Amino acid sequence: MSVPAISKASHRERALRRAAKAFAWVAVALAGAGALAAIAWHRGEPLNSSWFVVAAICCYLVAYRLYSAFLSAKVLAVDDTRATPAERREDGRDFVPTNKWVLFGHHFAAIAGPGPLVGPTLAAQFGYLPGTLWLIVGAALGGCVQDFVILFCSIRRDGKSLGEMAREEVSRRGGFIAQLAVLAILVILLGVVALVIVNALKSSPWATFTLAMTIPIAILLGLYLRFLRPGRVLEASLLGVGLVLFVVVAGQWVAASASWARVFTLSGVTLAFALIAYGFAASALPVWLLLAPRDYLSAFIKAGAIFSLAAGILIVRPHMLMPPLTRFIDGNGPVFAGKIFPFCFITIACGAVSGFHALISSGTTPKMILRESHARFIGYGAMLMESFVGVMAMVAACAMTPGVYFAINSPPAIVGATPEAVSRTISSWGYALAPQTLPALAQAVGEQTLLNRAGGAPSLAVGMAQIFSNTIGGDRLLSIWYHFAIMFEALFILTVLDAGTRVGRFMIQELGGRVWKPFGRTGWMPGILLSSAIIVGAWGYFLYQGVVDPLGGINSLWPLFGISNQLLAAVALVLATTVLLKMGRTRWVWVTLAPMAWLVTVTMTASYQKIFDPSPRIGFLAFSNSLAAQIGAGTIPAARIADTRRLILNNRLDAAVTAILAAMILVLVVEALLQWYGILARRRSVTLHEAPYLATQWPEGFAGTAQGDD
Amino acid sequence: MPRVSRSLASLWRRFWRGLRQWCGDADYESYLGARWRRPDLRRGAAPLSREEFYLEQLNRRYSRLSRCC
Repeated sequence: MSVPAISKASHRERALRRAAKAFAWVAVALAGAGALAAIAWHRGEPLNSSWFVVAAICCYLVAYRLYSAFLSAKVLAVDDTRATPAERREDGRDFVPTNKWVLFGHHFAAIAGPGPLVGPTLAAQFGYLPGTLWLIVGAALGGCVQDFVILFCSIRRDGKSLGEMAREEVSRRGGFIAQLAVLAILVILLGVVALVIVNALKSSPWATFTLAMTIPIAILLGLYLRFLRPGRVLEASLLGVGLVLFVVVAGQWVAASASWARVFTLSGVTLAFALIAYGFAASALPVWLLLAPRDYLSAFIKAGAIFSLAAGILIVRPHMLMPPLTRFIDGNGPVFAGKIFPFCFITIACGAVSGFHALISSGTTPKMILRESHARFIGYGAMLMESFVGVMAMVAACAMTPGVYFAINSPPAIVGATPEAVSRTISSWGYALAPQTLPALAQAVGEQTLLNRAGGAPSLAVGMAQIFSNTIGGDRLLSIWYHFAIMFEALFILTVLDAGTRVGRFMIQELGGRVWKPFGRTGWMPGILLSSAIIVGAWGYFLYQGVVDPLGGINSLWPLFGISNQLLAAVALVLATTVLLKMGRTRWVWVTLAPMAWLVTVTMTASYQKIFDPSPRIGFLAFSNSLAAQIGAGTIPAARIADTRRLILNNRLDAAVTAILAAMILVLVVEALLQWYGILARRRSVTLHEAPYLATQWPEGFAGTAQGDD
Repeated sequence: MPRVSRSLASLWRRFWRGLRQWCGDADYESYLGARWRRPDLRRGAAPLSREEFYLEQLNRRYSRLSRCC
């Protein structure tokens, strides 16, 4: 008699627990929907940033709990009985079974770069609403899906790269396009992120000194790790972080000394050449000396700064002074020209969907994953976290007064070059800005000027410094926080720059090696020097072009970067869709097909507008034609004719690069459509190139193999 | 109280181990651990020294994309 009673009670208990869980999730969903509605419909008094945090976190929780679970169970049918590459090919080097939390940290550190910080900051010119919505929705339905599915595909293929998988599953041409896209995006990415640093450092002795000092600090760490304590990364990094924080503070003494300040006050062009020389050195020097120790430093500072920013926003809860929508949704924005569609999506890029992540998801991570089910937490979860970084950057940018935001981010050709002219222009747009506001702010953050610093980094640094100083130190520490934020942004942009240049060098050596064998040998010094010069010359050209551009460079180069990044995302989603069709998941193919169709539409529209739009501020050809007409009409002074001709050439080159990117995506889509038609009409045999099934030997609780000291 | 301090100590140990694995400090121990567990890896060459492993690891890690935009 007692057994049924117990069973009845436990049944009731289970039902109650289920109901409580369902109730909790409904409450989370309602809180997210309510916060989103407040963001979308609130007018009048400035909105508190807590709404953004609540909306983002609740939407992420719901997306992770429901959508990623659906992807995992129904669409991909992940199988934990199957041995992952980390078990099948464990070697203690590349294939290392790793605890899922540690791997999450690895993966997040690899995917989080300057994109989710700079993109939303630039997109804030439309107001906070479009960017915030896209950051949340785009990540949940696009970016996270891409990262998760590509990670899953690579796990099932022994950790193969995106290019290899595209070649096997789509077509040889698809694989070749993926490789070309990677090289193209790399060159444009390196040029544009270098431009962000130049615009942050020019005429700033404090920031330039701080960043310059990270080079000897990195070399010191490199020597320590190579000769004194090989491989003791943690102690060396903590030592390095201490030194970097010291030079951030010491920068103020350099800026205050007339003679030293002169040494570190550099123009944009000088900084561009310094970065080009640095990129060449980092690519050609042994990796242990400069590149690796800088990467260690950057990883620690990046993690610390992102967590501090999150904590700062939660503590200070600043009000959003930017309106939900600005007048620049009409396409005449001063930061970059173009309407919300497609330019908001192209500009935000990495914070919502990033093609580059597909390279990480098919690189190191799949070789270290313990169980297939961890791909959901690592692939989908890490991208949600990156999207949250984007939301925080949006909050930091929009917590500034709009007048200050536009004054920092607009080029002199549009707003003028003096505080009075800038104040007049920006006030005439309806965003009040007194002439003395910006010089006073510049003085407060320890800079000579903050005017015309397009690129997003300085305005983000001002926003972060205001949040940090409201948490610790008040106005006294504003200048230190500002330079800490600049150092944080510049340090990890430099890490992308040197690591990217080195990988670009290997790609060029591999391509060149097909033509002439010795060139492909990665240890052959003439080959190293020549390939380093080629890759540095390629991104250096884009950088120089951006620095001398009267519209600030970001106006041309960031959209180009966004287009190439989204192109790579479309390549990844084409591959994912093809794999799903081959797996027989036709019913669920919309999960990758819908974001792919959206990205192709956005990319093609943006490409078309950047090439053919009649407005010289949007269309590359229209701008070069208007400059040519000005030369023809004799309105350009003789001394500037050579520079103007170079500008014309640069814009025509940008148009050609954009056209090539658009053509690549068209070829890939046609190729994929033919493949899909063949599969669906059963006109071709379907071969899925997965590694054969092997049952895992690891017990259920196995949590990784690193034998760290406690 | 001893239970709380034991839990805190255990939490700290887990955090420290995770941090060492995250930053690469524990890579050499993982390499030796893999050799210990997998007899096929022990056949042939002797294990690399910590210094050799560190250099080999860096060259391999930084010859492919490891950082994103």
